[in-house]
Amino acid sequence: MNIFFKKTYHQPLAKFAILALSLTLIVSSCKKDFLVAEPELSLINEDAFTSPERILAQVNGLYATAKSGALFGGRYLIYNDIRAEEFRVRDFNSNTGATVHNATVQSSDSNLGNIWTAGYLVINRVNYFLEGLEKNKAILSTAVYENYKAEAKFLRAYAYFGLVQIFAKPYVLNNGASRGLPIRLKAELTEENNTLKSSSVAQVYAQVLNDLNEAEQNLPNTYGTALLRTTRAHKNTAIAVKTRVYLAMGNYAKVLEEGNKIVPQTAPFQNAQRVSHALEANIVTVFTAPFTTSESIFSLPMDATNPPGTQNQLGFYFNAGNGNLEYVINTTGFGIYSDPAWPATDARRTAFILQYSASIGWYTKKYSGTAPFVDFVPQIRYAEVLLNVAEAEALIAGGNLVRSRALLDAVRHRSDPNYNFGTLATGADLEKAIMTERRIEFLAEGMRYNNLARKAEPILSIGAGSLIQVADPRYTLPLPDVETYYNPAAEW
Amino acid sequence: MKKRLLLLVANFLFCFALFAQNRTVTGVVASKEDGLPLPGVSVKLRGSNVGVSTGSNGRFSLSVPMGTISLEFSSVGYATKTMTIDKQQEINVLLEADSKALTEVVVTGYGTVAKKDFTGSASRVTGDAIKDKPVQSFGQGLTGQAAGVNIIQPNGLLNNPPVIRVRGISSISLNSFPLVIVDGIPFPTGDVSSNSSANNPLGDINPADIESIDILKDAASTAIYGSRAAAGVLVITTKKGKAGSSKITYDSWVGSIKATRLPELLNAQQYMDVKNTAVGNALQVNPAAIAANQHVGGKSFFPNYNPDGSMVDTRWYDEVYRTAYSQNHNVNISGGSEKTSYFLSGGLSNQKGFLKANSFKRYTGRANLTHKATDWLNLNLNMAFTNSDNNSPNSGSVPGAAFNSSGLGRIAFALSPNLAVRNANGTYNYTLNSVGSGNNLIGTSWSHPSVIVEKDRNISETTRFLTNLGAEVKIIDGLTVKSNYSWDKSYTENIRFWNPFQGDGYSAVGSAFNSLIRRNSWNWITTLQYNKSFGDHHFNAQIGSDFQNARTLSWGASRTGLLDPNFFDNYQGTFANIVAAGNSISQIAFESYIANASYNYKGRYYLSGNFRRDGNSGLAFKNRWGNFGGASIAWEIAQEDFFKNSAIGTKVSSLRLRASYGTVGNGNVGPYNEFTTFGSGLYGASALAWAFNQAGNGVLSWEVTKQTDIGLSASLFSNRLTLEVDYFNKHVDNLILGVPQAASKGVPGNSILLNVGSMYNRGFEFAISGSPVKTDRFSWNANLNFTSIKNKVERLASGIPNIIGSTGGLESASITEAGKSVSGIYAVRTKGVNPANGRRIFLDANGREVQYQHHAGATAWTYVDNGAVAPVITAARDAVYAGNTMPTWYGGFNNTLNYGNFDLALNFTFTGGNYIYNGSRAGLLDQRFWNNSTEILNAWTTPGQVTKIPKVIYGDNISNGSSFPISDNVEKGDFLRLQTATLGYKLPTSIFGRTGIKSLRVYGQVTNAFIITGYTGVDPEISSNGNSNLAAGIERNSIPQGRSFTFGLSLGL
Repeated sequence: MNIFFKKTYHQPLAKFAILALSLTLIVSSCKKDFLVAEPELSLINEDAFTSPERILAQVNGLYATAKSGALFGGRYLIYNDIRAEEFRVRDFNSNTGATVHNATVQSSDSNLGNIWTAGYLVINRVNYFLEGLEKNKAILSTAVYENYKAEAKFLRAYAYFGLVQIFAKPYVLNNGASRGLPIRLKAELTEENNTLKSSSVAQVYAQVLNDLNEAEQNLPNTYGTALLRTTRAHKNTAIAVKTRVYLAMGNYAKVLEEGNKIVPQTAPFQNAQRVSHALEANIVTVFTAPFTTSESIFSLPMDATNPPGTQNQLGFYFNAGNGNLEYVINTTGFGIYSDPAWPATDARRTAFILQYSASIGWYTKKYSGTAPFVDFVPQIRYAEVLLNVAEAEALIAGGNLVRSRALLDAVRHRSDPNYNFGTLATGADLEKAIMTERRIEFLAEGMRYNNLARKAEPILSIGAGSLIQVADPRYTLPLPDVETYYNPAAEW
Repeated sequence: MKKRLLLLVANFLFCFALFAQNRTVTGVVASKEDGLPLPGVSVKLRGSNVGVSTGSNGRFSLSVPMGTISLEFSSVGYATKTMTIDKQQEINVLLEADSKALTEVVVTGYGTVAKKDFTGSASRVTGDAIKDKPVQSFGQGLTGQAAGVNIIQPNGLLNNPPVIRVRGISSISLNSFPLVIVDGIPFPTGDVSSNSSANNPLGDINPADIESIDILKDAASTAIYGSRAAAGVLVITTKKGKAGSSKITYDSWVGSIKATRLPELLNAQQYMDVKNTAVGNALQVNPAAIAANQHVGGKSFFPNYNPDGSMVDTRWYDEVYRTAYSQNHNVNISGGSEKTSYFLSGGLSNQKGFLKANSFKRYTGRANLTHKATDWLNLNLNMAFTNSDNNSPNSGSVPGAAFNSSGLGRIAFALSPNLAVRNANGTYNYTLNSVGSGNNLIGTSWSHPSVIVEKDRNISETTRFLTNLGAEVKIIDGLTVKSNYSWDKSYTENIRFWNPFQGDGYSAVGSAFNSLIRRNSWNWITTLQYNKSFGDHHFNAQIGSDFQNARTLSWGASRTGLLDPNFFDNYQGTFANIVAAGNSISQIAFESYIANASYNYKGRYYLSGNFRRDGNSGLAFKNRWGNFGGASIAWEIAQEDFFKNSAIGTKVSSLRLRASYGTVGNGNVGPYNEFTTFGSGLYGASALAWAFNQAGNGVLSWEVTKQTDIGLSASLFSNRLTLEVDYFNKHVDNLILGVPQAASKGVPGNSILLNVGSMYNRGFEFAISGSPVKTDRFSWNANLNFTSIKNKVERLASGIPNIIGSTGGLESASITEAGKSVSGIYAVRTKGVNPANGRRIFLDANGREVQYQHHAGATAWTYVDNGAVAPVITAARDAVYAGNTMPTWYGGFNNTLNYGNFDLALNFTFTGGNYIYNGSRAGLLDQRFWNNSTEILNAWTTPGQVTKIPKVIYGDNISNGSSFPISDNVEKGDFLRLQTATLGYKLPTSIFGRTGIKSLRVYGQVTNAFIITGYTGVDPEISSNGNSNLAAGIERNSIPQGRSFTFGLSLGL
């Protein structure tokens, strides 16, 4: 039973051979790099800026961060829609926004914290990217360097603006004197700097505009493909977003100044500057693949290879099909559904609004692509820019009410050619019609709360069963615990 | 003939002995357990050096002086037995297996130390103590077996890894699970499943193959494994053959299991009554609270009827739970010659859980061989092959899953009892992704559990080859070199199929995610050992090296959009989409050099020291090396002459004082922490995206545990009573902490690993074991162990007041703060229900009473004293540390009674001093459409009524703790459990005749027989967050524990 060793090894020499062999093996295996294990699927920071391709991929990474389902790829839009009067929660799941809908969301809520975290992840990644880009600018041509820097700043502005709208009181309440957000413009990689007082709302707006103005200067005029023109920022994107920002500040002159760069004075309202923009003939086209119409100034792309995360998909919330119809359309008196200003002939109704069943109710299939929910997520459309300009013309002293009306008609008549608004004699009448038009046009596009808040109007919250006035703490989403625990100075 | 010859010789010797005033005693030593002869038993004349060993047939023959003498029989793994004889020439002795405390050896890191020479603190549990238990991994069977070891089975999901803590929690951000060494190789722990089945790699070790489990506790013992031993070490040794004729044993059990302590829920009528009352109350508060189309006359919930006209009254528990049956079989053959021994075994375990579709199947094969090739060369080879197959639907009971909307534990609680399981045509009743609402005007959102049970598939299957090859060379007398190479290769295939009809696969129109994890790990230990005695001086010195490397690769993909959903039910079917998922590569390496030396004088004074230098690739490059070491001393008082000669000297065979101090590094931190990295992904269909994803720490260094241990052990009355007492102080410095960062910094994960903070665990361990009664027919062996422990976090990072722990990513009910025990409960204080109006009273941060009324909008929160509007109560502002979750005392009380051929074992376990956050209760009292426990029937209804349950208001998820944790759901966790009760009967050997059967024992066993506790949740031994350090002691939507009955037999051939 000598299965291991032959007896011939009996010489004592063998013992020492074994000893020597094992010592040799030990010494030889203690090579220097035995304890060096570098990641094989992640790039180490010093390798991240080594080629133009990698730097471009980092720019994409910034957009991909903004696209997070917790943020602009889903929840940001959804929460803004479900806080007011257009949607009613179907299944009271606090994980899919029921507490936001009911205006009882707490600062400890993880999903709320995730919005904040995702927003600041965009900001820090931009800041870190800008530092790395600066150090490695030699790798790129000046134009490309400036272009990337501008895109990063555009995204930083977009993130700050998105967050300040929902986590702080409206600018118009007191010209931005309220508590805003901590403004972070340097890359954070260490344990330092947890404490940072929030800046005021006005300071945040100033920062946003600063970035957008710089971005506008250096963003490219256009890109080579419709996909890139829709999913990467160009000059018009920054301009369009600025009309939104200035409108939220009630600065109508600046809205017009920006808006006029891409909206002609008279119909047909088609922009030929840099990237052409126009309303699609049929609104359905905007929400149909490939989602890259000239109307889509900026959208975040989804794909079967790159779908939104679970419970973050717009279609999951609002569509039936394989959506879960988390929120049904409010069909009672105060919802836009029942507003006589939205007749049944309107394409936005015939194409998008459907009844699931008598007991469950109505829903929108604006996001028709159910699983894996690859509809692009709209961020800003030309239709909004038209209405932004229309609203500014209506509200600015001595504004062009004819142009305002024409812009409003353009949006309406695209979907309901025979509709007549009747006489809209004053700026106030126009404003009211424009606000109603926004409710119809942008239903389920994440605009409702922001459109109320920028005017400091009360929210008619179905979930809370009451009006929520701007002074009410529930009007603004609470600063999440993930911030205030470790940076109490954020709250003031 | 042979026998006669032997007798003749014996007689001759006897005569000769007479002549020399000596005589010869002969006999056979056998195992009491199975009656088989025991070779290699040392037979010694007490008080002398005269002794022999038994041969392969258990026989011995010893020349002894005339007159009355005492013979001492001792063998590894058996209790030493002393027999007094006067004139007998032949004596047959039965030795009892010693399963408890003071056995003869301790298996430490790089070798075996005789217990008498061991100066550290360790506990030993033998394989026999666990092999008959209906468990998946040996860890589950260790409950209550050893002092200082606390074990929690998180819930009744099969093969869910137990939470094991040796002398308390050993870190905050690093794993606190002890290091497990199986036959020399560090073994993976945790859960390797990527779906809702639990797959504990320790379940790959067949408990029936285990010879012993040595639990190393103090620094002197654990330092041997230094780099990863801060949480203690479990050294698993598998069985080996013994010289002698071959021995075949067959062990088998069958059993059944049922869920215990499920909360009592409302029936259909009660449900409708409670919810309609809540709807009415809500409408009174705010007429707009519930949509006009969701109620009629203030009611929203109405009866449904079965085809036979009876009212639907569904017990959803029946759709989720069952009585399940299991079976387990093991066969092993062992034996050997003087040169070669073998142990061969095969095992099959087929277990079913009380949760429907939950199962565990394991096939194992093992061959352990030892061979003495020459007088200077010993070889050993162990090979084990295992296949473990874990299946489970989404139970919501694995870490992170507490709030899964398809978690069956919660669905069973929360589904409306007035909704039917099936439609009139026999199909399952569901619409969209939930059970059909019937006549209820407010629908449910819970998916249909039966569809999930029947159509979803979550499998985690591991195939593992574990082998080690070792050689021991004796260079010169006392000097040996030992080398052992171990290799652990495993493949885990995770299979997840979610059906498109109900549950998690609904919105994806069916989804499948498969991944394969390939893990390759090797460990090579070489030591040079010198062992020499010079007279009364005994030296032992060792130097060695230890290299480890583990590389894990996984790959997989996820498919969605199932085509032909009525046919395909597998990943392999045809789907519309596929994306890569579950891909990763990681590698970690450890390199260590060790040196240790021990010395003892006359077996009285012991001194030992050790030093090691550890390298860990996961730490920052410049700080990857650490130096650690320790020392221990012991004094064996019973060997002192003054003691031996004293009055108690004859009663006390061992009395030992020992002390140790040492440092151990903890680097269980995973790979690549030095680096600041960018991760890749896509932006849109195909554009590559790189994004900053980890803030590295270029100075990350070892976490250091300093441990002091002072102990006393004693053995009295010929080892009939043994006692061990230890004081320990385990102090962790330089804690590697995932320090939370303000989210606005945008640091990926909102946390950075830093060496900050400190923590300690201090306490006492007592273990007493003995045989209070011992006669030939009746004996009682008892073992009581008790641990008292105090945990305190001394310091966290500066500027970080606390760290919040999360349950299921949604609830923050745990807090770790300086000055308190780690992972406390974090809840808003409540003060009952206001008798005047039935509203829940909360205490704000200042202790002022604030009451809450749901749907009251801006006036929802008001001060109790003046009715004025109060600021909203939030966890951030008002929650406090509301109780420790770490037990402050625990232990076990194990009894074995033998009467004739009957044996009875009773194992009790107890734990206490801790609090549990009963989050499930929040759900069970939630005022959405969810069903409630019958506790809701005590809800406030009339002014002046004193009750714990607030007035029901539809939609209220704040008063009950669903929105943020409240102290009303904090409960004491003390309990006493009869863990197992076993009654066995050994058939008399006389009845076997010539059948070839040598022994047969049959037994019946009940596990979790009863529990005495004031805790109202499903079980006080619970951990919804599994092994989490920061969110322990939480019950949230988990399935309960089971009670099982097993019947088994053990056959010896």
